[in-house]
Amino acid sequence: MSLSASFLNQRLPLADLLDLRSFAEVCHSFAELYRVGLKVFDEAGNKLVDVKVGNADFCGYIWSKPLGREGCIATVGRVKSDPVGEESEPTVIHCFSGCRYVVQPILYEGDVMGRVVFGPFVPEDAPDIPTTLKSIAEDFDEKSARLFQAKIRQVPMGTAEKILKHFMDLLDVMIFTGHKNLIAAKLHIEAVQESYRELQDKNAKLEDSYQKLKELDRLKSNFLATMSHELRTPLTSVIGYSEMMLEGLGGPLTAEQREYLGIIMEKGENLLQLITSILDISKIEAGRVRLVLSEVEPAVLMRDAVATLLPLARKKGLKVSCEPGSLPRVVADRDKLRQCLVNLCSNAVKFTPAGGSVTVRGETLVGDRLAMHVADTGIGISAEHLSKVFDVFYQVDGSSTREYGGAGLGLAIVKSFVEAHGGEVKAESVPNGGSTFTLILPLRPAGAPAVQAAPPAAVSG
Amino acid sequence: MVQFNEESREIAVKVVYYGPALSGKTTNLQALFQKIDGKVRGRLMTLDTKDDRTLFFDMMPVFFKTRAGVKVKLKLYTVPGQVMHESTRRIVLQGSDAVAFVADSRRSEAASTVAYWRNMLANLEANGLDYRTLPLVVQANKRDLPDACGEEELANLLAEVQAPVEPAVAIRGEGVVETLHTLLQLCYRSLDRTFGLESNWQITEREFLGQIFSHVDLRGTRLPSEAEAR
Repeated sequence: MSLSASFLNQRLPLADLLDLRSFAEVCHSFAELYRVGLKVFDEAGNKLVDVKVGNADFCGYIWSKPLGREGCIATVGRVKSDPVGEESEPTVIHCFSGCRYVVQPILYEGDVMGRVVFGPFVPEDAPDIPTTLKSIAEDFDEKSARLFQAKIRQVPMGTAEKILKHFMDLLDVMIFTGHKNLIAAKLHIEAVQESYRELQDKNAKLEDSYQKLKELDRLKSNFLATMSHELRTPLTSVIGYSEMMLEGLGGPLTAEQREYLGIIMEKGENLLQLITSILDISKIEAGRVRLVLSEVEPAVLMRDAVATLLPLARKKGLKVSCEPGSLPRVVADRDKLRQCLVNLCSNAVKFTPAGGSVTVRGETLVGDRLAMHVADTGIGISAEHLSKVFDVFYQVDGSSTREYGGAGLGLAIVKSFVEAHGGEVKAESVPNGGSTFTLILPLRPAGAPAVQAAPPAAVSG
Repeated sequence: MVQFNEESREIAVKVVYYGPALSGKTTNLQALFQKIDGKVRGRLMTLDTKDDRTLFFDMMPVFFKTRAGVKVKLKLYTVPGQVMHESTRRIVLQGSDAVAFVADSRRSEAASTVAYWRNMLANLEANGLDYRTLPLVVQANKRDLPDACGEEELANLLAEVQAPVEPAVAIRGEGVVETLHTLLQLCYRSLDRTFGLESNWQITEREFLGQIFSHVDLRGTRLPSEAEAR
């Protein structure tokens, strides 16, 4: 983390603190009001404002004489550069022409920021043409000089200092206001820059951790795919050999042995199903789902799914009904669609207590689509969980002592398979009132990327 | 960072009042503005845009010239207290030579005080400043309020933060001058150690503090009159 140096720690020149254009206007109106010239220099001697009032002819005449020009330059030099104290006292500078200037340092926060020069004016106590002026040229025309001098305002010294004091008070307020505005604006910019920098830092860190998480997620999916494949191989043998023994290939069995083997086979098949789900999810996550498309009768699939779950539902004491209606044929992956329906029905049976009912219903929708609803009267899902039930591994009851089994993969598989068909899944639920899951499928999954990837030969009547 | 200008014989010192929103930072500066003679201080600049309060901090300069002709400029700043002004706080804190942490003594504010203390340490670090060496004073403000924590809790705080703690009721101007005095004393000693204020610039601690506090209205403070130090 590095901060660039703040302007707060820099010293600002006078020109930055004043809006020079409007300041010049103020100086002009001020000079006109008092009919006396006004000059403002910054600390480095740069002239910021120069207002001449009434002295043009007089000074112009003096300037026309070589000695006069010399004297003039000397006076201007002193006015501009003579050291001024750090007190707010004015300095009076006498010009050889008899005119006077009052020079006042501009003090701000204890620093000399520049100077204000008030003049030239003719002092009231000495209005005459001094000999220092008369001697600048042999042909000095005193009469014209007097006429020119009369155009310059006569000011008593006390008044000059008062006028200047008034101007300095004004200037102080202008500098303070300018300083305040400058600080406000600059600090605002610095604050925005600093916030931006901070955000970029945070974004970079977030991006970094996001990449790490993505990599971890990929490793997890790979691991799951490999493991489920490796688990399936020995499990197939367990199931196969159990089956062989049940068929009597290993010799006659007692009734008890037969019962035990039946259990081994059943549990083995449960396990195989679970592992297959994991493999499916890994494939889905790796983007390796391929649809094998054919024309499918949805009503047949619905009855088939219901029939699969019927024994379990009866055992639990549930009423099951299947109302496919007159659904059109769809082009879909038969096995995957069947699995979707089985998963939904299996959930419905699992989460509906005795005495409840499960209804599977078909519906034709506009726009060449159809819907299949699986409704139950079970425990339902609260709104907070409803949006997440399609997430992989998500369980409404995540505790280890939960009442209902399952790996949290069923709905995630349903969602992926349906979306691969270009369809969508929806869930509606009333806690303790039941849930309805709906699959919406296009009659023909045009444009679904997974379909395009499937070999065209697979699409058949 | 203190700025030394050998050529113009100037020293610029930055003092920052840090603390949670509404702990009394601005009140401190306002009280000092009242108590310090206008000859040695500038205007109190308060940057607050009333409606949206985008920017909010205060600044007041204090300046004097030592007998050896060195101009010393102290700039007192407050940081904006609201949480959202984090970047402004960090900018204002940049290059500070001394920090007064203004804490609201009420027990109800303890959590926010601790949070801002940590926030300050983080922002000091971001500015390359080490709080263990930076002159730092904690002002336990609002001692007059009924919920203010007791002496014992203050003592615990002292042990925790390793910095002098000054009790104050800034709204009545109590403890404000003492806080600045303690802070500037630490600040002088730190600058003297690092830059040799006395050996290189002929400024003694007595003169440094005296030049400022002889222009401060010390009535009602625990400080002795500094008049003899002039």
